[in-house]
Amino acid sequence: MLFNSLTFVVFFVLVLALHYAPFSWTTKKTNLLIASYIFYAAWNPPFVILLWLSTVIDWHVAKRLFVEDVKTRRKFLLAISIVVNLGLLGYFKYGEFLLENFIALAAAAGVAYQPPEWNIILPVGISFYTFQTMAYSLDVYLRRAEPSKSFLDFALFVTFFPQLVAGPIVRPSHLLPQFATPRVATPKQLYWGLALMTIGLFQKIVVADGLLAPSADAVFGADEMLHPLDAWLGTLAFSGQIFSDFAGYSTTAIGVALTLGFGLPDNFRFPYAAIGFSDFWRRWHISLSSWLRDYLYVPLGGNRKGNLSTYANLMTTMLLGGLWHGASWAFVVWGGLHGLYLAAERWLKARFGKGLLWGTLPAQIFLAVLTYFLVNITWVFFRAGDFATAWRMIVTMLSFVTDGQRVLPTIHVLETVVTIGVMLVIHWYMRERKLHEVIGRLPTWILGPAWGVMLTLIVITQGGSDAFIYFQF
Amino acid sequence: MPSYTSSSKGSDKYGRPLPDTVLRGSAWVGLLVMVVLMSGWEWYWRDYGSVPAYRNSEGLWAIQRRRIDSGEGNKTVIAGSSRLYFNTQLDIWEQESGQRPIQLALEGTTPVPLMEDLAQDEDFTGTLIVGVAPGLFFSGFEYRGKAFERYKNESPSQWLGQKISMLAEPYLAFYHADYSLFTVLKRQKLPERRGVESASDVRRLSMQEKDRATRMLPKLETDESYAQIAKEIWAEGFVPIDQRSEEELQERLENRNKQIERAVTATKALQARGVEVVFVRSPAEGHYAVSEPMYNPREETWDVLIERTGAIGIHWMDHEELQGYWLPEWSHLSGSDADRYTKALYHVIERERARRQAKEAR
Repeated sequence: MLFNSLTFVVFFVLVLALHYAPFSWTTKKTNLLIASYIFYAAWNPPFVILLWLSTVIDWHVAKRLFVEDVKTRRKFLLAISIVVNLGLLGYFKYGEFLLENFIALAAAAGVAYQPPEWNIILPVGISFYTFQTMAYSLDVYLRRAEPSKSFLDFALFVTFFPQLVAGPIVRPSHLLPQFATPRVATPKQLYWGLALMTIGLFQKIVVADGLLAPSADAVFGADEMLHPLDAWLGTLAFSGQIFSDFAGYSTTAIGVALTLGFGLPDNFRFPYAAIGFSDFWRRWHISLSSWLRDYLYVPLGGNRKGNLSTYANLMTTMLLGGLWHGASWAFVVWGGLHGLYLAAERWLKARFGKGLLWGTLPAQIFLAVLTYFLVNITWVFFRAGDFATAWRMIVTMLSFVTDGQRVLPTIHVLETVVTIGVMLVIHWYMRERKLHEVIGRLPTWILGPAWGVMLTLIVITQGGSDAFIYFQF
Repeated sequence: MPSYTSSSKGSDKYGRPLPDTVLRGSAWVGLLVMVVLMSGWEWYWRDYGSVPAYRNSEGLWAIQRRRIDSGEGNKTVIAGSSRLYFNTQLDIWEQESGQRPIQLALEGTTPVPLMEDLAQDEDFTGTLIVGVAPGLFFSGFEYRGKAFERYKNESPSQWLGQKISMLAEPYLAFYHADYSLFTVLKRQKLPERRGVESASDVRRLSMQEKDRATRMLPKLETDESYAQIAKEIWAEGFVPIDQRSEEELQERLENRNKQIERAVTATKALQARGVEVVFVRSPAEGHYAVSEPMYNPREETWDVLIERTGAIGIHWMDHEELQGYWLPEWSHLSGSDADRYTKALYHVIERERARRQAKEAR
C-alpha cells in the first residue's frame, strides 16, 4: 500500500481509530500487527509468507543464540539467520543479476548458455525488512542485547507498517522497548505526526513527482547526446527527486508512527548541505549507513587495523551498500564512487586537514559545492540504469559541447531551477538546525496557512499514486 | 546487556522532539485554509466548463473488462479507440437492442491487443464491435496500454483505491487529470527554447459514467476557442507523407502489414469460437480528412482488413445514414449527434447482418 493513495487514507483512519479505542495493549498490538500484514498484502498477498518466514526464523535463532555458549553452534545459528535472510534477498533481488552475469561469463568462455526467462517479481521492501530482522539476530549473537520475550512484539517489530517497505531501518533496541508498555500519542505528538505526514507527502507528491520527475525522466529517457544545460538540469532534478521521494517517505513514516505514539529515528538531515562525504553519509539514509557501519564496516575491522585495511573496509562497505540498492553494476559503481570519495576525503584530511583555511566560510562553501557536485555525478549512474546512458550524460555534462539536443521545455527548466534553488537554500539554512525547532518558532498565522497551502497543493496535484523510488530496493 | 522488552529506562528516550508551539491551532487554521482554497479551485473549474464525472481510469476499464469474466461474456463488447468510445451511446444502443454493451474502447489506443486478449478468453462469446481509427489501428499505437496491465495485475490496494475514488469522482469538477496542477502549469504559454520539441497533451474532451458510457464534454460544443485548441493539438506535428524518407515509409508499411496480420489472426480465432466481429469506421473531417487517406489509403488498409477477415465492415462513407454529423473538433461527434449516430449505426449493422444471413441462406 502506498502512503500517497486513497486506500492508505482509509486504512490510516481505521488504524488510528482502533489504536485509540478502549482495548487492552495486547489487543492494540495485535491490531497493529494485523494492520501491518494487510498493509503489505495490499500490494501482493502471497509475499506476506516471506515476512512470516523471516519472523519465525529470526525469533527462534535469537532465542537459541541467547542460551547457547558453544562458539561453533552460535556461529551455525547465526548462519541460519543470515542464509535465510540473504537467501531470500539473493533469490528475489539478485537472482536475475547473477544469472545474467553467469551467462555473460559463459559466453566469454565460449559456452552458449540460454536458461529460461527469469520471471520473479521483487517483493517490495525486502531489502529493508531483511536487514532489520538480521540486525536482531546479530545483536543477540554479538551479545549487544537480549532477545525479546514476546513473540507478538517481535513480529510487530519485523512488520510495523509505517517503516516496513522503505525504512527507516529501525534497530530492535529502538523499537522493541516501545512495544513493551502501552503507548498512545499525546495531542501534541498527534498534531506533529500529522504535520510530518503533510510535509512528507508534499515532498513526494508535489516536489518529487510533480516538479522534478518530468525533467529527470525526459533527460534520462533521451537516447541521444544532449545539450549540457539539459543534462545538468536532468541530473539536478533527479538529485532533488530522489531526495524528496525518499525523505518524503521517511518523514511520512515517522509522522504515521508518531500519531500512534511511537518514535522512529531520523533518516535524513538535509544532506545537500553536507560538507564532505562522511558528513553526507551522516545526513543521507542514516538508518542504512549506520546499519552498514555497525554490522559490516566495524566487524570487518573498521579503522582499527591500519590505513590500508581502513580504505579496503570503506570500499567494501560502500560497494555492498551500492549493491544493496539494486542488482546492477551501475549501483555498484555508484557505491564504489562514494567509497572512493570517502577514502579520498580521509586521505586528504589526514594530509591537509589541519590547515587553518578549511574552517573559513568561503572554504566551507567551496567544499559543500564540491560535495554536491560530486554527489550529482554519482546520481547519474544511479538513475541511468546502463553505462551507455551514464557515460553519455557524464561526457555531456563535463564537455560543454552545445550542439546536443535540447529536450526540456521552458516550464520544466523553470520548475527545476526554482525547486533545486529553494531546496539548496533550505538545506543550507537547516544545516545546523532542527525541523521541530524551526517550526516551533513559527506563529500560528504563518504555520496554519502554510499547512493549508501544502495540503491543497497535495490534493490538486492529483498524484497518480506513483510508487516511491526506494520501493524497488 | 539491554533487554528488548524493557522500557524501564524511560520510554521518552524513544519519542521524538516536538515543536515548542501550539500545533492544534495551526492544524485547524490549515484545515480551514485548505477548505477555502479547495472550494475556490472547484468553483474555478466548474466555471471553466468542467462537469463532474467518473474518471476514465485504468481501474475503471479493468472493472468493465472483468465483467466478461464474471458472467457477461455473451454481451456486445465495444473495442476501438476514442471515436467509437465517444460516438457509441450505450443508452441509445440499449434502447434499440434491449442490451447494454460493455464499453472497452480506449482513446489513443489500437484495439488489436484487446482483440487478441478476447480471442484467448473462452468466457467471451458475444459480439465484438471494433472501431478502426486508421492512425491508431494500423500503427499499433497504445497510449493506454497500461489498462491491460492493470486488469491483469491489479493489486488489492489498487482495487480498493479505485472504489474509494469512484465515491468522489461524480461530485468533483476539478478531479480530472486535465485540471491537475502540473498539467495546468505545463500548458502555460511560455517562450520556448530553440530546438525543443514538445507535444501538447490532449485536453479533456469527454465525460464518463460508471460503466464508461461516454459523451463529448459540452464545452467543446459551446466554446469555439476550446474546440479550436483541440483541433490544433490534432494537427500538431503533422508531416506530409512526401516529406518522409523512403526508409521511414518502408518501416511504416511493414508495421501496418503486421498490425493487419495481428488483427486478421485475432478475428479468425474469435470467429472460430462463434464470436461475431464487426469493424466500424466512424466519420472524421478537417485534418483527418487529409492525413488518414494520405497515410492509410482505404484500399490498402480497411478494404484489405475486411476482405481478409470476412467480417462485417461498416465504413461511414458507404452509408448515407452515417454521414452529415457535427464533429466539433474533427474527430468525435457532439453529444446529441452521437445519439442519432448510435441509432443509425445499430440499424446499419442489423441491416448488414440480415443481408449476410440472407446471402448465406441462399
